[in-house]
Amino acid sequence: MIRFPESMSAGAALLAEIERRSGQQVSACYQCGRCTSTCVAAFAFDYPPHTLMRLLQVGMVREVLASRAAQLCLDCMTCSTRCPMEIDVAGVIETAKLVADEAGLKDTERDLRLLRRAFLSNVRRHGRLHEASLLIWFNFRTHNFMNDIKLVPLVLRKKNFHIFPPRIKNRRQMLRIFQEINRGGKG
Amino acid sequence: MIGFFICQCGTNISATVDTGKVAAAAAAMRGVAVAESIQYTCSDPGQATIAEAIRGKRLDRVVIAACSPRMHEATFRRALERAGLNPFMLEMVNIREQCSWIHSDASEATRKATDLARKAVARVRHHTPLLARKTAAVRRALVIGGGIAGIQAALDIAAAGIPVTMVERSPSIGGNMARLDKTFPTLDCSSCILAPLMVEVKQHENIELLVNSEVDDVHGYAGNFEVDIRRKSTCVDEEKCTGCMICQDKCPARAPDDFNAGLGSSKAISIAFPQAVPLIASLRKEHCRRFNGNKCRLCQKLCPAGAIDYGQEEAVLRRSFGAIVAATGYDHYDWKASYPTYGMGMYPDVVTSLQYERLLSASGPTGGRIRRPSDGAEPRQVVFVSCVGSRDESVGRPQCCSVGCMYTAKQAVLTREHIPDSQAYVFYMDMRAGGKDYEEFARRAQTRYGTLFIRGRVGKIFPRRGKLVVMGTDTLAGDQVEIEADLVVLATGLDASAGAGELARKLNIACDRNGFMTEEHPKLRPVEAASAGVFLAGACQGPKDIPATVAHAGAAAAKVIGMLARGELEASPMVAAVTESRCAGCFKCRGVCPFGAVEKARLPDGRPVARVIGSVCRGCGICNVACPPGAISLNGFTDKELIAEIVEVLKPDVGYRTLDFG
Repeated sequence: MIRFPESMSAGAALLAEIERRSGQQVSACYQCGRCTSTCVAAFAFDYPPHTLMRLLQVGMVREVLASRAAQLCLDCMTCSTRCPMEIDVAGVIETAKLVADEAGLKDTERDLRLLRRAFLSNVRRHGRLHEASLLIWFNFRTHNFMNDIKLVPLVLRKKNFHIFPPRIKNRRQMLRIFQEINRGGKG
Repeated sequence: MIGFFICQCGTNISATVDTGKVAAAAAAMRGVAVAESIQYTCSDPGQATIAEAIRGKRLDRVVIAACSPRMHEATFRRALERAGLNPFMLEMVNIREQCSWIHSDASEATRKATDLARKAVARVRHHTPLLARKTAAVRRALVIGGGIAGIQAALDIAAAGIPVTMVERSPSIGGNMARLDKTFPTLDCSSCILAPLMVEVKQHENIELLVNSEVDDVHGYAGNFEVDIRRKSTCVDEEKCTGCMICQDKCPARAPDDFNAGLGSSKAISIAFPQAVPLIASLRKEHCRRFNGNKCRLCQKLCPAGAIDYGQEEAVLRRSFGAIVAATGYDHYDWKASYPTYGMGMYPDVVTSLQYERLLSASGPTGGRIRRPSDGAEPRQVVFVSCVGSRDESVGRPQCCSVGCMYTAKQAVLTREHIPDSQAYVFYMDMRAGGKDYEEFARRAQTRYGTLFIRGRVGKIFPRRGKLVVMGTDTLAGDQVEIEADLVVLATGLDASAGAGELARKLNIACDRNGFMTEEHPKLRPVEAASAGVFLAGACQGPKDIPATVAHAGAAAAKVIGMLARGELEASPMVAAVTESRCAGCFKCRGVCPFGAVEKARLPDGRPVARVIGSVCRGCGICNVACPPGAISLNGFTDKELIAEIVEVLKPDVGYRTLDFG
């Protein structure tokens, strides 16, 4: 049951935050469903993308933040490319993920959230992905210390597993990109 | 010499009827000199083929087997005329609507088409040349209804120099448009764009404006209508009243406010609204103290112009017109009885869209401030419910009102403009925004004005702690919805205006199952009624928004101007004629004629006989049937022609299946 006006006022602050940081206007969505028609991951979602947009419109922001769909979105951007109203749907969903993290919603797809955060901080630190440290950190955080351990001899033999982190040329620029995004600029 | 032409109508006919075979059969019929199958007979080359055959083979009569004569009889008559034949030497056989379209068995359909062809050939042998008569037409038009449709039609006709009489039953012209606040999608003020036109009607030298008047009776025919117009008694002398409103201010008797759709109240003697045209008072006797046993005569005493006349009586004027435009508009559907779940009108804060227009309007009962009727509070949560009495089979109303989506979007926008911290919710089933700039407007209602559109029908409305609870659903979010609303606005559907059916009967025109007047062809003759000389303008023909109404009314005016500009009309020669030698003078024909077209005459020897007034006869044929000695016959439908046809279809080898007197 959606109750108005309570629903709208309850979701207003979070919705405004999502709209500000994503630079998108959620009310522009007219529910044509094209985002869902093209989505490659929707089969695994609890709500299809157009329903996520609708839930945001009616103020049910918390349902979106806590949804599996928001965590499982691949950020492939197909929905954003095809939206007839030119809404960056993937951007809205990505922003919802960040806002959910900040709001301390940690129950849904916990491992996925951890992996994503680990991935981002890894890239931020090294300028590009360093698999070894990501794997160790992730396994440590998820208490699966022995996870994938059998694969280690294999990848070492194949020589595409670097023990030391890579160095990139302009790490400062990479940092600036991260700062820019966190400020809520248009990536 | 008969020419027989069968039309393939692309594949419309030839897919089921073997036209070549029918043509071959026709070629063998007695008197047929040419028989051809043509791909599109009505096209330019098709008509040329007929003309060539008429000239080359010296044809004196023609049978065309094609579509309904309603579609192309006039076309082919003109083709005959151009080729030098009398246009009435044509017989049409309908093998499309009455054969190819309704049958699937090709050999049976071909056989039926051949039978129909024989019958027509038998009949056309008896055709005689007829001459179309010209009758004088009265150069004055009647416009019934003074809304935007009637106003536009009247101004357009008057601008062409043709005098117009406008009849309006209420005390002022302006109609529904005068009650609207703003208009979609431009949001310009309705009365600001309408008022100048109303004034122009009043001041136009070619327009006679009769308010408080209704059409009582209509006689006659296209070009020569006789119309009785009933002028109701309003106890006010229109010539003297200056519109000073003293009577309205001082009148002690309250009366319902029709102009404000029942919100607020008015007086027994009143001027409908400040921009009323004409600006004169009128008294409603049913609410007046004087006419209800009291002694009050305050208005008469106070009127500085001496315009009040309690003894004023109804008058019936008889006028002649060449053409009539019906522009009676629409009424909002009275939803109360059919929607018990919306409260049947028990909750004062459930209002109709028209009432909401009056709440928005600066000339309305609240001076343009949105106030709930129950306690006068300013609402914050306003819920709009679309399709009340539209698209609802359960209340017997399947039709779309065609304007509800847009006026609701407009009202939602205006709600936010009037009360910036308000929230408007619109329950809708589909957003129908087909007009120019309409979709963009509806989008703006959502994005710029924050209207929340909720897809779903409302199930129930009930009061709770001074609010109205609206139970609905959001089919897009897939959940039930409950809104605590301060005010609920019902977007009620549109009906033909009260009395439109009765007027249609007087005008001898048809109404559809929703009560709207029927045009002669839904695409090609959208303003012509089925009765010659009667035209339709605006929402009386079906729900329309203002731009469509104005366009429709302009089209009706153009048809009237085209009809009356020449001052005379071509009348069909297919009228009744009396063979005086056979007439017994019983005048049964006179008794049955619905048009009064039969008069009594005397032969030189003193014998009384019936005589048909050709210009009044409409060719209905009732007198033919009534005449005991068979002295009256209808030109183009003589007994000889009909009997020839019947004999042909009753021939033993033809069979009874295709018996058709068409």
